[in-house]
Amino acid sequence: MDVVQHMFNPTVFVGFVVGILSLLAIAYQRSDIHTLILTDVVECAMLVIIAAVGTDLAEALILPGLVVGLAEFLAVSEILIQKNKLKKKGRKITKLFEEFLAVEEPKIDRDIDHPKMEILYSASRFISLLLVIYGAFLTGFTGGAVMSLGLLFYLLAQGITSKGISSEDIKDFWEAIVGFSGIMWALWIILGFVGFYLFPDHYVIFLLIAGGALALKVGSKLGLIGDLKF
Amino acid sequence: MSLNITSIAGKFYGYIPFGDIVLYVTEFSAISFIVAIFFTLVVYFTKPEKQLESQIGGFDTLNYVSLEELKIRRLMAILCGICTAFAMLTGDLFNYALFLALIGITNIGIVAAVKKEWVLNAAYYYGLIAMISTLPLFGGAALILAKTGTLSILELAKKPYDLLFQKILYAAGVVGETGVAPFYAAKAEMFRAPGAPYILMIHLSSLLIVIRTAEILLTI
Repeated sequence: MDVVQHMFNPTVFVGFVVGILSLLAIAYQRSDIHTLILTDVVECAMLVIIAAVGTDLAEALILPGLVVGLAEFLAVSEILIQKNKLKKKGRKITKLFEEFLAVEEPKIDRDIDHPKMEILYSASRFISLLLVIYGAFLTGFTGGAVMSLGLLFYLLAQGITSKGISSEDIKDFWEAIVGFSGIMWALWIILGFVGFYLFPDHYVIFLLIAGGALALKVGSKLGLIGDLKF
Repeated sequence: MSLNITSIAGKFYGYIPFGDIVLYVTEFSAISFIVAIFFTLVVYFTKPEKQLESQIGGFDTLNYVSLEELKIRRLMAILCGICTAFAMLTGDLFNYALFLALIGITNIGIVAAVKKEWVLNAAYYYGLIAMISTLPLFGGAALILAKTGTLSILELAKKPYDLLFQKILYAAGVVGETGVAPFYAAKAEMFRAPGAPYILMIHLSSLLIVIRTAEILLTI
């Protein structure tokens, strides 16, 4: 008997037990925010039940289930915030994802003495090279994040060690890499991917173009990590 | 292709294959689709109601719906209509469940666009119910998949399966996801809130979805 079949009944049982226990907890709960969090636990139990099926199709069903659950969770939490905003007027209002939407950067007046980090001076090039190569092997979004982390580390290390690189230079360099990523995206789609369909005989060339451009594109995708503000 | 769904849903006209997701057209689903699309157009073209509030010992005030609020509610109502229309045609249980979840989110959006505390309270509790009922809805679909190996209504209609428990779960999920929406709309006294016509979509989608669920559960 397959291990998935063996685990099916216990998993479904666990899913329902978690769901029912969370419902009991919700029934006793008086605080709005705790009710919301317990409701999210019920959704996790839903994912457990879907995962119990354990086939390829079930794997394809978990992702939409998770997305739907998250969408409802975000909608309801936004309603909760609006509700509390109407309830207590005059207090400081917090928005959802406020920390990601900050417009003003905090200003620091004094100079802060950083202790000298040896790694930034001696090993920045080596570490960034290591990260870029490792990211290239990983491929995909994770690999892209690792690769761009390597590039970013090199850039900021150069800025810190003050080898004549100002923050303006870093900003220009950042934008150049992001633009390069966009060009590589166009190369991948237009030259590589469409080429497969137009000239199927020369598929090896287009495969090489698409593969190379994709690796470069994901590697230079600094937007995966964040954005610079000066 | 011989199907026993013809006895419930009327004549079977054919199916529209979109890769994995197969839409099928019967007399029932075609009529419901047209009704949902028609009411979506009605919602698109109507202007929202203004509301006259009479004051004791003062001037009466006319409550307008601001353009911002109108836009978001109209968008939500139209999305709700489109989802309802395609939920009528879909031939896949999980796809149907996803449509229901999207209708639930748009219903929350329609209710929550009114910035009044009691309305937001009702929207909040409706959101909680909708989130909780994803467990029976998607769980029921997953159990049907586990028992029969398929989610396609056309495939399920071919053989008789014993799916009573799964069907009860699925129906409970449907009730929680969109079936109770008019209850919460009534609880929020949405008929008295300004900008009334968009609430029509909540009732219409709930009605059509309940009928379509009965049809699906009798078919499989």
